Parts: sequence; structure tokens; C-alpha cells
Amino acid sequence: MTASATPCFATEGLTKRFPRVTALDDLTVAAGTGVTGLVGANGAGKSTLIKILLGLLPPTSGRASVLGLDTAGQGPEIRRAVGYMPEHDCLPPDMSATEFVVHMAQMSGLPRTAARERAADTLRHVGLDEERYRPMGGYSTGMRQRVKLAQALVHDPKLVFLDEPTNGLDPQGRDEMLALIRRVGTEFGISVLVTSHLLGELERVCDHVIVIDGGRLLRSSAIREFTRAEQTIAVEVEEGQQRLAERLTAGGETVAAQGRLLTVQVSADDPGRTYDAVRDAVCDLGLSLLRLEQRRGRIEDIFKESTAKEPVA
Amino acid sequence: MTPEPTAVIHDIGYRHYDGVRLGRGRATLALGVQSLRGVFGLGRTIRAKIMPLLLVAIMLMPTVVSIGVMALAKQRVMPYPGYAVFMQAVIAIFLAAQSPYLVAPDLRFRVLPLYLSRPLTVTDYVLAKLTALAVALFGLLAVPLTIQFVGELLVDLPGPPHTADYLGALGGAVLYAVLLSTVGIALASFTPRRGLGVASVIAFYMFTAAVSGLFYAVLRMSGHDSAAPWALLLNPFFLVDSVQSALFGTAPSTGDGYPPGIASCLILLAVIALAVTGVLLRYRKAAS
Repeated sequence: MTASATPCFATEGLTKRFPRVTALDDLTVAAGTGVTGLVGANGAGKSTLIKILLGLLPPTSGRASVLGLDTAGQGPEIRRAVGYMPEHDCLPPDMSATEFVVHMAQMSGLPRTAARERAADTLRHVGLDEERYRPMGGYSTGMRQRVKLAQALVHDPKLVFLDEPTNGLDPQGRDEMLALIRRVGTEFGISVLVTSHLLGELERVCDHVIVIDGGRLLRSSAIREFTRAEQTIAVEVEEGQQRLAERLTAGGETVAAQGRLLTVQVSADDPGRTYDAVRDAVCDLGLSLLRLEQRRGRIEDIFKESTAKEPVA
Repeated sequence: MTPEPTAVIHDIGYRHYDGVRLGRGRATLALGVQSLRGVFGLGRTIRAKIMPLLLVAIMLMPTVVSIGVMALAKQRVMPYPGYAVFMQAVIAIFLAAQSPYLVAPDLRFRVLPLYLSRPLTVTDYVLAKLTALAVALFGLLAVPLTIQFVGELLVDLPGPPHTADYLGALGGAVLYAVLLSTVGIALASFTPRRGLGVASVIAFYMFTAAVSGLFYAVLRMSGHDSAAPWALLLNPFFLVDSVQSALFGTAPSTGDGYPPGIASCLILLAVIALAVTGVLLRYRKAAS
């Protein structure tokens, strides 16, 4: 876990039952600072978890805390320190982005002049230029998502909850939004809890990923932990693949052939050694190198394995 | 040689906010002020300004006429306490046109979750909206009354000025503001569609006014003279007028008076309590 002294949020045996469904089932999980991804299919309980963490929905049983504050008794204090970007559309069409974000800053307790400054700053950071003075009714989905993000950041929270921020965006808009989320987590120094039903897009921006399904915890781990273990390099040479493989194996590397490619497992304790060995072997054998690239194991595959191994009721 | 640059633009990146953070009360006040401005179309599009400003202008017309007559004919035209009853249709249209504006967009465009993810509570939100509409309605009544009173003082009619009537009418204006704003918001908040909200508020006024008039006439004709005044209380404007005359001793705006004042007061309180409870329940449900 990447947690610092107080985790960004933590739950303990958290259960939420609605009359017809159990949204969260005995969920115990914690996340530290940085960008945390919350992954699950639609209806897995992601939005319910966010509502409980905001102190807006009482859990059926169990407890939760955000930034060291208890959701049961300190909801207002939590909501003062966090930002929330809902999944659904939430922008009145006849207001401009500037008016709207200024208003939302005031609702978070900023005085009017400070609200104006912060709104202008935040809208600039999320990448909204001249169009911020136009009514939001005419905005594209990408622009609307940016305004929604801006209103969650305008009061400079310590932590933001982003509920499906890439929903409805085209691939380019998705990339831009993900880059923006990464910036919020690193450059802005604001911790992020971002939900998605797509694991693949979260692996690019998160430090830590939590996977839930049917309200239960499937897995919670830092991205580094398993991407490191899974790191391999792919090597392709014109001729002499066999010789190269033998030479590397003799040197103590784990090598596998995949068609015309050789994949070499990067040594976990001394990654430099593997790269050096590949370079030296290619040089010494006088082979012509066509390709040498890093391959990161996709966490999606790992989660597929883990879900296959541990059947969930 | 190029001159040395005198100013440089730095990208200072993201800056944290370490200024003041005001409490819930100030956020509620800011919401109330923004809503109040919006009721009169301030900070909104030109189209949104037309209706409220037109209605304000109509509300001021009797005042202008009244001052004119006082100045020229040295005669009082319109008594202060009966002003709201006299202008009830205009006030009802104002209420119907503006109360949905305050609540419907936040429901329809789902802005409410954004308010509630901040320190503001459902009660703060409802309080801000009710107060904004109440202050707007009070202003709509108090401004013409005050202008007329200042006019009366300046014209200097024979006899003492009608200060007690004026103050009684201002007290009545507070009652009108509270009753009408709670009823207006209660009716408008049940639908996220602004048009339906307008229709439901105006229908409520027309229905109560018609039923009240009808019952009154029927009871009168069938000889139930003592029961007839109770029918008047179905109309919210006559209800407040009766409370106003009970509390501030103003003359009733109808010929033959109202049922006992205590009954009117209790009915008024009950209606306000019912409307406020309805709004709060509605928003508790909308919030979850």
C-alpha cells in the first residue's frame, strides 16, 4: 500500500443494502495519497461507495473515514475538504462556465473575489479558454467534463472523487482527461479517487487500483507491485534467434520465444543486468537487431487471472 | 542589439488556495443572494429579465396613479392594507413565473448533488431558496407601498398621515411573502420542468380563488351568512388579509369581515407548516 500516515480514505466492513440490492458487501479497503483507481462493472457499487465517503448516505453497517474524518459524524468537515465530480450531467445550460464555477466556489465557502480568481485559474488548468464565457448548453461532451472537473477542484480540495470522468468521451478526449487526472494527482498535489469500468485506462494514471465486483473487494494493490514483476523486454533479430536465446539462457536469463520475438524476463532485483546482457549478446554474436522494446504486463490480464483463480460468490 | 526584456511571463503552475474559507452560513447567504438576483432576472439573459421587470412595473402603476390623484384631487384613492388583495392576480403571476425558476433547473439539470457534496445541507438549500423568494415578494409589495406613503407625506393631504395603515400593510406584506413563497416553492419543486411548475402554481391560485368565490356566493344565497366568510379563507390572499386585520387592526378588504382572527392565524400557520414540510420531504427524497 502507498499509504502515508493517514490514509485518504479507509473502510471497514462497509455494507450498504437497499431494499432490493446489496450495493456494498463487507468492504474493507484503504487508499493512500496519489491517484487511486476504483474499478468495477456498472452496478458494482462504485457510486454508492463515493456517496458514503461523502457522508451523504449512511451505511447499513461498518464504518468509513475520509482524510481521517469519520463519515458518520463529520460529513460537513469531509465535504469541506473534498471535491466531487458526479457521473451524470450537472450543468445548467443557460449559465456560462465562469459564472457556474464561481458560484460553486462560493458554495464551498470561498469569498466572492477569491471565488472569481480560483474559477479563472481552475478553468485555465482544465483547458477551457474563451468558450468559458459562453452558455454551457452549447458545449461538447469534452468541454462539459472539463467544467465538471473544474467545479470539483475550484476550492482546492485535498482529495477529489471523480465518478467516471471519461464517460462519453472519444479516444482523444479520453487521453486528454486521463492526462489531466494524472496532473491533478502529481502537479496539483491533490489526491484522486477515480472510478471507471475500464481497467485498461486507469492503469495509465493510477498509483493504486481497487477492483470491486458486486460490492465486494476483488483486489487492491499498488500498480508498481505487479507491473514490476511482469516487466519483460521483447527482442527481435533478423537471424540467429536460436543462438541468442541459448546465449541468454546460459547467462541466467529467463527467455521465451513467441514467433519471431524473444521475450526476456527483466530481473526484478537488478533490471540493468538484463538489458546489459541482451545488448552484449547481440553485439558479441554480431546479429542485426530489428526491435528492442519494453513490455509491461497489462494489469487487466493479471486481474483476469486473479478473478479466474478466486471465484466470487 | 535588442533591448533587454522588462517583463517576463512565468508559468507558475498550479497554486494552492490558502485564503479564508467561510462557513455554511455564508455559503447559504451567497446562494440566497444569487437566487434573489435571479428572481428579478439580474445576472440572467435579457429574456429572463422581461417578465419580472414587466410585473414590477405593473405593480408600481397603481402607486403612480394614486400619488397623481392625491396631488391633483387631494383625495386618497387606494388604502394601503387592501393593496395586495387589489393586485392579487399580478402577484400570483409573479409567483407562478418566478418560483419554478428557483427550484426546477437544479432538479432538472441535476445540480443539486453538487450543492450537497459541499458543506451545505438540504435544509440550508431550501432555506436559501425560500428566503430569496420571500424577500422578492416582500419587496414587490413593500416598494410600491413605501413609494405611495412617501408620496402621501410629500403631497401633505389634509388630516394626519395614515402611518398605522401603512405599517399594518407592511406587516401584511411579510405574511404574504412567507405564505406565498412557501406555497410557491412547494408546488414548483414537485416537478423538474419549469413550464409545469408555472402551470401548477397559477392553477393553484385560480382554483383556490374560484372555489373560494363560488362557496362564498352559494353560502350567501342559501342563507348561511355566518358560514360564508369562512369560504373566503380558501383564497390565500383573503386568508392573509384576515390575519393582517386581526394582527394589525387594518380594515378588511371585503365588505362583511372575516371569521375570528385566531382561526385565520391558525390556518395560516398550518398552511405554512404544511408547505415547508412538503418542501423538506421532497428534497430529502431528491437528495438520496
